[in-house]
Amino acid sequence: DRQTLLAVLQFLRRSNLRESEEILRREARLLGDDLGAAALSPAGTGLLGAPGGDADSTGGEALLSRVTAAAAIAIGGSAATLLLCADAFAVGGAVVVEDQPDVSAVLSAYNQQGDPTLYEEYYSGLKHFIECSLDCHRAELSQLFYPLFVHMYLELVYNQHESEAKSFFERFHGDQECYYQDDLRVLSSLTKKEHMKGNETMLDFRTSKFVLRISRDSYQLLKRHLQEKQNNQIWNIVQEHLYIDIFDGMPRSKQQIDAMVGSLAGEAKREANKAKVFFGLLKEPEFDVPLDDEDEEGENEEGKPKKKKPKKDSVGSKSKKQDPNAPPQNRIPLPELKDSDKLDKVMNMKEAARRVRLGPECLPSICFYTFLNAYQGLTAVDITDDSSMIVGGFADSTVRVWSVTPKKLRSVKTAADLSLIDKESDDVLERIMDEKTASELKILYGHSGPVYGTSFSPDRNYLLSCSEDGTVRLWSLQTFTCLVGYKGHNYPVWDTQFSPYGYYFVSGGHDRVARLWATDHYQPLRIFAGHLADVTCTRFHPNSNYIATGSADRTVRLWDVLNGNCVRIFTGHKGPIHSLAFSPNGRFLATGATDGRVLLWDIGHGLMVGELKGHTDTVYALRFSRDGEILASGSMDNTVRLWDAVKAFEDLETDDFTTATGHINLPENSQDLLLGTYMTKSTPVIHLHFTRRNLLLAAGAYSSQ
Amino acid sequence: MEAPKMASPKSAPKDAQVMAQILKDMGITEYEPRVINQMLEFTYRYVTTILEDAKIYSSHAKKSNVDADDVRLAIQCRTDQSFTSPPPRDFLLDIARQKNQTPLPLIKPYSGPRLPPDRYCLTAPNYRLKSLQKKVSSSAGRITVPRLSVGAVSSRPSTPTLGTPSAQAVSVSTKVGTPVSLTGQRFTVQIPSSQAAVKSATPTTPTVQNVLINPSLIGPKNILITTNMVSSQNAAGEGGALKRKHEDDDDYDNL
Repeated sequence: DRQTLLAVLQFLRRSNLRESEEILRREARLLGDDLGAAALSPAGTGLLGAPGGDADSTGGEALLSRVTAAAAIAIGGSAATLLLCADAFAVGGAVVVEDQPDVSAVLSAYNQQGDPTLYEEYYSGLKHFIECSLDCHRAELSQLFYPLFVHMYLELVYNQHESEAKSFFERFHGDQECYYQDDLRVLSSLTKKEHMKGNETMLDFRTSKFVLRISRDSYQLLKRHLQEKQNNQIWNIVQEHLYIDIFDGMPRSKQQIDAMVGSLAGEAKREANKAKVFFGLLKEPEFDVPLDDEDEEGENEEGKPKKKKPKKDSVGSKSKKQDPNAPPQNRIPLPELKDSDKLDKVMNMKEAARRVRLGPECLPSICFYTFLNAYQGLTAVDITDDSSMIVGGFADSTVRVWSVTPKKLRSVKTAADLSLIDKESDDVLERIMDEKTASELKILYGHSGPVYGTSFSPDRNYLLSCSEDGTVRLWSLQTFTCLVGYKGHNYPVWDTQFSPYGYYFVSGGHDRVARLWATDHYQPLRIFAGHLADVTCTRFHPNSNYIATGSADRTVRLWDVLNGNCVRIFTGHKGPIHSLAFSPNGRFLATGATDGRVLLWDIGHGLMVGELKGHTDTVYALRFSRDGEILASGSMDNTVRLWDAVKAFEDLETDDFTTATGHINLPENSQDLLLGTYMTKSTPVIHLHFTRRNLLLAAGAYSSQ
Repeated sequence: MEAPKMASPKSAPKDAQVMAQILKDMGITEYEPRVINQMLEFTYRYVTTILEDAKIYSSHAKKSNVDADDVRLAIQCRTDQSFTSPPPRDFLLDIARQKNQTPLPLIKPYSGPRLPPDRYCLTAPNYRLKSLQKKVSSSAGRITVPRLSVGAVSSRPSTPTLGTPSAQAVSVSTKVGTPVSLTGQRFTVQIPSSQAAVKSATPTTPTVQNVLINPSLIGPKNILITTNMVSSQNAAGEGGALKRKHEDDDDYDNL
């Protein structure tokens, strides 16, 4: 408010309206008092008539309109009336008739006694103009419809013109694009100002700028039209609520635009996607793989000591020098590798050697784990990296852990018994386990609401679960008890995931933020705020330096763990995002949403590179195969589809698209990329997992239909 | 989802029809039939709560009728109470900026399971064990023995010492000669005590008086006094097997 007033005072000073400035200064101390709106119209015209000269008036008008717009929103019109009353004294009867229609148009929308019915006229006027414009511009200018419609409607509601808002909505809501229908339904229930107070998403929408990307030609056209006729109202709204990102080049076609729009915040500004992202992988430490000759089946012979080279991980041995796209090793602190981790890596490498190379000719076998008798209560599933355990989070607030292998789940012995065992023996890790507690299933109780996300730690010692009760719980998989409850979100937490290196984990919830935690801090280390609606999906990048969050505002954002900045914004989905998957090489991101499309993004360039159409319902699970050749997607339409990832990304190697404008021309090649569709018998697929040997595991709960 | 088995419009009561229409307007097409009942219950409860509150406000303002302002006030108060909404965006951006400025803490290597301080964990035992008491029928004389309070008095679980506030216990143990810090041992202390004496002794004196563990009394009547360790569960179990009197009124006396 203060700044508004200062701006107005400055304007008055500039226009040599000393008296009104004085009056305003005096009256500003009485801010908030209701002033007669009767002095409005004549005073308003006086104000605008006073600064003579066209150049001045357009500048002043713009400033005034912005100021009044801001003031109207902030103070509810009292500042505008204040300003105008003040000027009534100064200017007196010097009414300039020519400017009158402009002014009344400006003012009428922002005061309580104005004429909101003019809104419909403005909107239909704009509609008419856009429909009559050239084809090449029409698609781009049509982007204006939705944000203008919503903002005008919200203005009417906020200023409590209920009936006008209703008729405005009735008349124009059918014109909007089909993918905005869900939003419009929510809007139709917001009819009073009080309704808006509890709806944080709509409030955020009102205060944030909707981004539109329009070519320079189209923009000039629009600007000229809005400024020449008496369409200042729309021009005001455009300036106030929209951010128009102008680019030089060909106007986009409807198809191109449709691919990229859909989110609640419009598109992404080009500069939002320009920051450097280290999408490379961290170097794996190289160490010798002890070669067990029984396992290797004669691949290496014992009798030739000279040839006994340690088997290195294929990724790590490629280059000794630093990958320029990889983050420095110590960019974020990571836990050290323990002996058990090293053993695990050795196992991983051995399994990797036996891995099946997948491709269009060699599709993976799919093994489906169906949860029976879950009564639609299965809400989250996770599988350990070595595929030894599977966990299910349920709507009855339990977390159940099963062992997938024949080896049962055991908890460690009690402290008394532990003191009795021989600590020096080789099989101490088996001795610490209590045989009496061996079972296939362990149930973990503790949450007080449905469990919406689960995640195993990479070393299989811990399990995370997040729930509607607002907490994230850390469970020990050695004692099968709850260790910590992390309280921070006070609202349902929709997803959580451990970092690929352990120690850190991320959670995202209804409070529209994602939080980064470490297991040994009871408060979050980073808060990623920026989404306009709930954060529904959170994933770590393979190098643990970035976090991708998908939200109900239909955007996907990539955040830097080091400083919490948002480095990428990806728009294009038409529904809340429910699944995210990073490719194993760290360069690409696949996202799935309720619109049934899977979108592929190049992280380095910040562009959409592929669109996979085929699913007819929400895509709840996405996973790349271990070497990134196949992308598997699982959906509520009871199918698992396999897509050729190599082919989807291959034309990017040439790197020839215009990164300056960020335009994409997506080929309609979904059919070519689809390698197979596998249907279940009425079981929605909610989790996918490639084992270390590239066998695909899927999980879902049987729902009798 | 099961096919919605909605009651035919003719037979459903009016408000159920209205609720079904509301659900349809909000775009919810698939729901179990019980949802309508739940929504109606919620509506009834909410509206009656608001109207009751409004009646209270209007009678406080000495008005004869409940009017719209009272209802508005009632709604506002209830909204702040039960239907809270997440923090606004500028607040979130502010705290995010603050949190994100501090650098990530370095990780100490080889520090065991990385968990927050014990106070913030759920690893403390949430129970404590009662000591066993027996009424001494034929013992000679009454020995004023203050009650041993054992168990998880403090929230710090790891130190297996006897409860801190009871200096009684400490002195008893020292008399007996066992070390104060137990490491899974169990030790037996014979405390023939009488109820009345105990009750009078406890509130007055925290210090021990006349505690002489008469070795002659240590006999077959063994009382196992165990601390709050997981290991001691076995001990407690055994003690229970021997003799146990449930003296429920002792539970909250002495801590």
